[in-house]
Amino acid sequence: MMLSFLLYGMVKGEDIYGAFARGAGKAFPLIARILPYMAAMMMAISGFRACGAMDFLNARLAPLASALRFPRELVPLFLLRPFSGSAGMALLADVYETAGVDAFPSFAASVMLGSSETIFYTIALYFGAVGVKKTRYTLPAALFSMLAGAAASVWLSALYYK
Amino acid sequence: MDFVWGGMLFLSLTVGVLTGQGGVVADAMLAGAGEAVRLCIDLCGAFMLWMGLMNVAEEAGMIRRLSALLQPVTARLFPASAKAAAPITLNLAANFFGMGSAATPFGLEAMAAMQENNPKPDTATADMCLFLCLNASAVELLPTGVLALRASCGSADVYAIVVPTFLASLLCAAAAVLGCWLGRRWSRRTG
Repeated sequence: MMLSFLLYGMVKGEDIYGAFARGAGKAFPLIARILPYMAAMMMAISGFRACGAMDFLNARLAPLASALRFPRELVPLFLLRPFSGSAGMALLADVYETAGVDAFPSFAASVMLGSSETIFYTIALYFGAVGVKKTRYTLPAALFSMLAGAAASVWLSALYYK
Repeated sequence: MDFVWGGMLFLSLTVGVLTGQGGVVADAMLAGAGEAVRLCIDLCGAFMLWMGLMNVAEEAGMIRRLSALLQPVTARLFPASAKAAAPITLNLAANFFGMGSAATPFGLEAMAAMQENNPKPDTATADMCLFLCLNASAVELLPTGVLALRASCGSADVYAIVVPTFLASLLCAAAAVLGCWLGRRWSRRTG
């Protein structure tokens, strides 16, 4: 991809060095524009995790999860994943350790993590960058897709797990 | 967003104070803000690399030609965003191949291109909502991070998760499109 961009520019006889510098120069103002939004979001996420509301939710949701035959090891992962990528990976490592890498919960957790994203972070970043404040139905639709993804992960894992 | 963000802050502070851990919560907030600054500095390098390269392609006319080529596909999903066709595709492609650091600058470029045609600049367009939801569903060919972790933990079959992960993310993307379609209908009805 990098090479094709460069080659195309060279073939066209463009001033690629200058073009690169002009593009890279736009990166810093962009970072400066999104930083306040990232800071606001990460501050809220970090505080939310520290206050213990997560553990509370986790404890409430565990019985519901087992009623739905959703592996209970996956509940904390499901709750934290939309907020933080690194926390998601840490929790996945945790599941691997407690359940064993090749056990079913680990398998399902891998699938779930691989097929989901850090929704809150992405939304804050992308809308923050262009200054959109009313995000309308983006968040509900994204959460709906995440819920569907989690259900699909468990279902497909059950199909593929040997 | 105001509601979600405010709700999270309010909840964490109230719970923190009620459980006598207000200080812990405040410290965590501070740490989170600091983490954002560090992350931005890390991102800055990747942004410079990709935005620089993208500008080479842009000035050479490659982005315009790519857009024209992809127009028929993106026009179906993003009817109001002809100009954003190339960055949208590049973003989705970067996500697909697991290049997160490249996906973000492309995504932001796409958002900027979509914002140009936005009649109400403080409100998201339908195309933006769909674009974000597709980004949030992460259709990925190889979940590199998960695979690396499985390998390092000594899994007997590291790649066993690839097919179900891919299928699950496809279903997730389908749900995103459906969710956006429902959202659009609902917001039209409520005005």
